[in-house]
Order: sequence, then structure tokens, then C-alpha cells
Amino acid sequence: MRQTLVCRAVLSRLHSLGLDSKLLAIGVGGGLLSGLLGVGGGIVMVPLLVLWAGYAQRDAHALSLGAIIPISMAGIATYGVAGEVRYGTAIGLAAGAIVGARIGAGWLARIDERLLKVVFGTFLIGVAVLLGARG
Amino acid sequence: MSGPTLYVVLVAFGVVVGVASGLLGVGGGTLIVPFLTLAVGFSQHSAEATSLLVILPTAIAGSLALRRRGVGDLGLALRFGVVGAVGSVLGALLALALPADTLRLVFAVFVGVVGLRLARDGIRGERSPASGHRRAR
Repeated sequence: MRQTLVCRAVLSRLHSLGLDSKLLAIGVGGGLLSGLLGVGGGIVMVPLLVLWAGYAQRDAHALSLGAIIPISMAGIATYGVAGEVRYGTAIGLAAGAIVGARIGAGWLARIDERLLKVVFGTFLIGVAVLLGARG
Repeated sequence: MSGPTLYVVLVAFGVVVGVASGLLGVGGGTLIVPFLTLAVGFSQHSAEATSLLVILPTAIAGSLALRRRGVGDLGLALRFGVVGAVGSVLGALLALALPADTLRLVFAVFVGVVGLRLARDGIRGERSPASGHRRAR
């Protein structure tokens, strides 16, 4: 009884932060799959945000990108990156990726939503092939 | 590859990953990890650790650029991501106990089907809600 009350209080607090039940489920589910399979959360979260929670395609991609910030922080904290990271490589990749991310975000702000669906759908098919080859 | 050549390739590949990340809202680990293991010859563990360290600044740069353009809601996204972070820690713990390879194949099929459906919706021009709105539930 007391636990139910605590659960309800926590849920209503989360809801008041804008996190409704579907967002909570997608957050936990997306995080679980990414931790379990070592794939990025975005591949899981974006389709669920669009097809299940009813977000506009563009908003779903923006929500996913922001969510990756705390998720990757948790990954860095739990994975024990120290000792395994090749810093030179990380710096080289990140230097390019930071520039690229600003270009990509500019495209996301303008792109036609239908074209975005086709591009992302094609990306997912490619990922499926890669994952299948690895599995 | 070694020395300066490797660096040019790394930065160039980084740009490609960044564009995909900013445009598609993904971290980019799906691209970085196979690149580091297959093309550069890293171990899986090293590749995943290095990839995590690239994803964080990339997601921050992309999210800030989106916020400047008024796309999405970064505050909500960060709160949503904290929930996801809890899930990912649980997932990492579960991974030790479950047959990850089988799961990966099942997941590959799921991702492929979703990709086909989204591409089809986009080509057919099926109505989707305008930005800033959610479909009525």
C-alpha cells in the first residue's frame, strides 16, 4: 500500500516534468536495449517516438539527440572507459564530428519531413544489415 | 594507415558521423564501432570505449545547434535521457546474463522492418503531425 503511494507520487512528479507514460517507457526501453545490445539509443527511440508516441519526425530526432547526452554520460561512467580509450583517435573523430553535427543539425531544422523519413528508414535498413552480419 | 594519413581519415570520417548524428538524432556508435574495429583494427572493447567518448561532445554540439534554431525541446530531451540512462545501466547489467547474439539478430530484424515502414511512409507521403505537435492519442 505504502509502496503504491510512493510509486504514484514518483510517477506524478515525472509527469509534471513533461515525462508522460509513453516517454518513460520509451526512455527505459530504449536505454535497456542500448545497454543490452551495445547499439545507440537513437535507433530504438526515434521509431518509437514517431510510430507509438506520435511525435513529429523532426521533433523525435531532436528529442533523441538531446537524450543521448545523459545516456552516453551514464555509459562512460559504467563502462569503465579509462584505460581502453585511445585518446588520439577520440580527439580526431570528435573534431570532425562536432563540425559535422552542426551541419547535420542545420539540415534537420530545414529538411522536408517525408525526405527525413526516407533517409532515416534507409539508415535503419543499413543498420539492420550491419547488426545481422555481426550477430 | 598511420600518422597524418590516419588523422585525415579520422577527421573526415568524424564529419560523416557528425552529420548523421545531427540529422538523424543518433549517437553514431553504430558507425564508429565497426569503423574502428574493421578499418583501424581496434579491439571491440577499445572501439566501444572510444566511441562513447566521441558520442558525448557530438550530441552536445548537435543539440545546441538545434536549440539555436528552435527545433525540439532540449530540457525535455535531457530529462527523457536521464530516464534512458537508468535503463541503459540496467541493460548493461542484463547483458551479462542473456544470450546477446541471439537478441542482436532479433533486434536486427526489428530495425529492418521499422526502416522499411518509415521509408515507405516517407515515399507515400503519409501524413505525419507538423513539428511541435503530437498526433492525438
